[in-house]
Amino acid sequence: MDLHSITKVSFSQVVALARAVDEHGGQADVARIAEDVEMELDGIGPIVAAAEFLGVVTVEDGDLRLTDFGRKLIKASVKERKAMLREFMKDLPVFRYVIQLIETSARPASRQDVIDALAVHFGSHSAEDLFRALVYWGRASELIAYDSRSELLTLRTPGVPMPPAH
Amino acid sequence: MVARKRLRWVGLVLIALGVSFAIAFPDSARQAATLPLLASFSLGRMAAAYLLALVFAIAYGTTMALSKRAAVVMLPLLDVLQSVPILGFFPAALVFFVATFQGHPAGLEIAVIFLIFTSMAWNMAFGVYESITTIPKDLEDAARVFALGDWLRFRRLVFPAMVPKLVYNSMLSWSNGWFFLVASEIFTAFGATYARPGLGAFIADRGDAGDVAGILIGVGVLAAVVLTLDALIWRPLSIWSERFRIDTTGTGQPVPRVSGVYERLAWLPRFTRLRQWLGSRVRPLMERYSRLATRFDRATSAHRQVMRAIRWIDLGMFLAIFVVVVGSGLAGLSTLLLKPLPAAAYTIPEATLRSFSRLALAYAVSLAWTIPAAVVIARNPRASRVLTPVIEVSASIPATALLPLILGFAIAIAPSQGTGTELAAFLIALFAMQWYLLFNLIAGVRAIPGDLDEAARAFGLRGLAYWRRLLVPAMIPSLLTGSITAWGAGWNALVVSEYIRFGGVRPYTVTGLGSLIDIATFDVPDSEVLLLSILTMVLVVLAMNKLLWRPLFKRAIKRYRLEG
Amino acid sequence: MAAPFLEVKHVSKSYFEAGKEFKVLETVGFELAERDFVCIVGPSGCGKSTLLRIIVGLDTPTAGSVRFEGKPLVPENPQVAMVFQSFALFPWLTVEQNVELGLEARHDPPERRHAQARKFIDAVGLAGFENAFPRELSGGMKQRVGIARALAVEPLLLCMDEPFSSLDALTAQSLRDEILQLWSTPDLPPKAVLMVTHSIEEAVYMADRVIVLSNRPGRVVAELEIDLPRPRNRKEPEFFGWVDEIYSLIV
Repeated sequence: MDLHSITKVSFSQVVALARAVDEHGGQADVARIAEDVEMELDGIGPIVAAAEFLGVVTVEDGDLRLTDFGRKLIKASVKERKAMLREFMKDLPVFRYVIQLIETSARPASRQDVIDALAVHFGSHSAEDLFRALVYWGRASELIAYDSRSELLTLRTPGVPMPPAH
Repeated sequence: MVARKRLRWVGLVLIALGVSFAIAFPDSARQAATLPLLASFSLGRMAAAYLLALVFAIAYGTTMALSKRAAVVMLPLLDVLQSVPILGFFPAALVFFVATFQGHPAGLEIAVIFLIFTSMAWNMAFGVYESITTIPKDLEDAARVFALGDWLRFRRLVFPAMVPKLVYNSMLSWSNGWFFLVASEIFTAFGATYARPGLGAFIADRGDAGDVAGILIGVGVLAAVVLTLDALIWRPLSIWSERFRIDTTGTGQPVPRVSGVYERLAWLPRFTRLRQWLGSRVRPLMERYSRLATRFDRATSAHRQVMRAIRWIDLGMFLAIFVVVVGSGLAGLSTLLLKPLPAAAYTIPEATLRSFSRLALAYAVSLAWTIPAAVVIARNPRASRVLTPVIEVSASIPATALLPLILGFAIAIAPSQGTGTELAAFLIALFAMQWYLLFNLIAGVRAIPGDLDEAARAFGLRGLAYWRRLLVPAMIPSLLTGSITAWGAGWNALVVSEYIRFGGVRPYTVTGLGSLIDIATFDVPDSEVLLLSILTMVLVVLAMNKLLWRPLFKRAIKRYRLEG
Repeated sequence: MAAPFLEVKHVSKSYFEAGKEFKVLETVGFELAERDFVCIVGPSGCGKSTLLRIIVGLDTPTAGSVRFEGKPLVPENPQVAMVFQSFALFPWLTVEQNVELGLEARHDPPERRHAQARKFIDAVGLAGFENAFPRELSGGMKQRVGIARALAVEPLLLCMDEPFSSLDALTAQSLRDEILQLWSTPDLPPKAVLMVTHSIEEAVYMADRVIVLSNRPGRVVAELEIDLPRPRNRKEPEFFGWVDEIYSLIV
């Protein structure tokens, strides 16, 4: 499993899924949850996959079970959630690789630099998708900052606001 | 990466060609040494005209979009101006400026810049108007709820909304402009030749001298200038302008970073490093600018009265000019109608018919080759890779620059001078028309959704049925868009194509509206015939737009639009 | 007695088309006090969005008046902010620039704008996305930007027009909870919230008070005080009781 399973899912959807499972006592059938949140199965599928990938739920025979991590996530504040996400993300190979790339490069890493590097390492056909996921989760976890105007990536110290870039 | 390597190769080959050329034809090479300077003159004229057109377009379009009362007058006027073949006025305007300045170079410069301006301004103004009137209502509401002042509203909402169409139309305007620049830098009237130094004049001059090598160098440099501008300015700008596109699908799904809409010019280098470097230089300036803008915002909202007064003065000036122009035009027309028609006027119907058939033939030939070519290029990635640069380089050369070559070619292969000139007139019209069709058609075929194509194939649509059921219907809207532009360009080309003067005493002419206009201006000055011919041309073009293209277009949009 | 925070008095609205009158709202009246969270519900086409547009000054009533803190409402009132159903984000501005929009209109100096924008971007959980364009965001995140933009001008009254109806159910629910969480934070600006929705469940879940409008032309059918304790559970019978009661009022 890699970052690809979470390319089309947002963090708040994962949290909301965890909360929906929690409302059923921490364990529920995927179909029940889908009905509960008024979503089609193919709409909720990627969210479930992402939640599993992030270790928020376990999936077995179509049954979702909330993990301890998931339970903590629901109770946490927005800031604490980000911290938890950060802990998880920073050990993923893709993140390690890109963070190192940004740290060692002499000038700010551009979108194209990172996509080229990703293509070499993780295959070229999906490098753009991977980049998009990297940017989204990098921003969500506040590990990586990406300025969409200049298309430059930088590392971000969590909690410290970025200097205004105007 | 690959593209860059190939570009290096192309560069090497070009340099090698250039060097060997210089050794083979030292005379032409000496001539060519002045070309960078000449190119910069031509470019300067283009830039000046473009800046004027830009300011005009934004002012005109904004006023028209914001004031319903002003739009009542301004919109139909622009509609006419946009469909009028400006080159019809070209000889008269040249003569006017030359006469006013008594042949002084400044008069010529102003005439050239004015003509280029008229070829650039209207479509841009229209683009501005369309962009502003299609701003989504919820964004307007947000601007009101958050109490954006006039200037801030312009900076944050109105101007960004017009960027995509402004950039797109600027690209169109520049290629129109090159066409006119080349035609206007040198011309002959009343037995004298007026010229301003520039690429267009150089090419025409080499044409007179019969120096094929010189013509080729001139055309090559012109193409290089056009392509360099594309690579350094228009391609980056069009990528940047994608940022300002309003996503009307409005679904909650994250939309991938926009790309691929401007596949044209995609083979040109992107200069990522250069852009980054520039970005890092420009950003501190932007910071300064944002501070200034805040101050300016505060000032303008404090002096709303003044701002409003400025806008009204602006509008008043425009109306005054408008009244003068229309008034004098009407006066001229009434004196014309009060007098009996001059004898030459009776040749106008035949000339119109001839010009029309010439354009129709060129249009048919354009269609015949561009439709299959568009399908091949849009469908076959390898063909596209090879052909796209070739086509875009060819299209970057304005038809007017090819004039000497086309004429020489036509006369060489035609049995008599009459057919030769006729052939040349046809070829110039063809070159002026075909690219618009081709590029629009490629975009049309590319826009066919992949699933639709797959479905068609899965149902066994093949050969003729595949064309009839899928390709042709899908192409029709873009075909019509291309046709409107192509015909507009064709009418414009008439003045250049039906009356070609090179050095010699006698110009090469064929019967047609364009040559009537030229003759009435340059050879036998006759303002009545001139006015009547222009009027006829304007009426024919307007009639075609209103009675043929618009209705067809409306029907096509209803029937063949691909719901994305 | 002090004037009510917001007073909507006999507001009627008609459109005229081809000499015919189409009544949208008929003598609608209600009041909002400080710390009120009020939802307006009604069937689609009952003019509830028009009512909200009149309250924020985007539209004018044919008859009647809206008074804000005892004064007649001026258009483009800086003390009223709005959240739109379609988000209404400027696609060419980054998240931060979008949030700064209202502050820029107030001519705040750049430093203050940045600080204020960061504060509210943080509050809606979008820290990290300051330099993203709206098109890079999911629907839920876009609406967070819309909320941050509205809160950043520190409005006294926050108006929301169907803020969750363009979102998928999962995202909508988590956003509802977050809005309620923000509302319960005392140091956040708005003194009252007025929200328009077509979902009765949503109204019962969120509001202190629900104003029920009738079918076109919209009239106030009932004003109900929802006294359920918070956080509310949508599975409880009391909750259903309220939902059913409002249903029966509308049908």
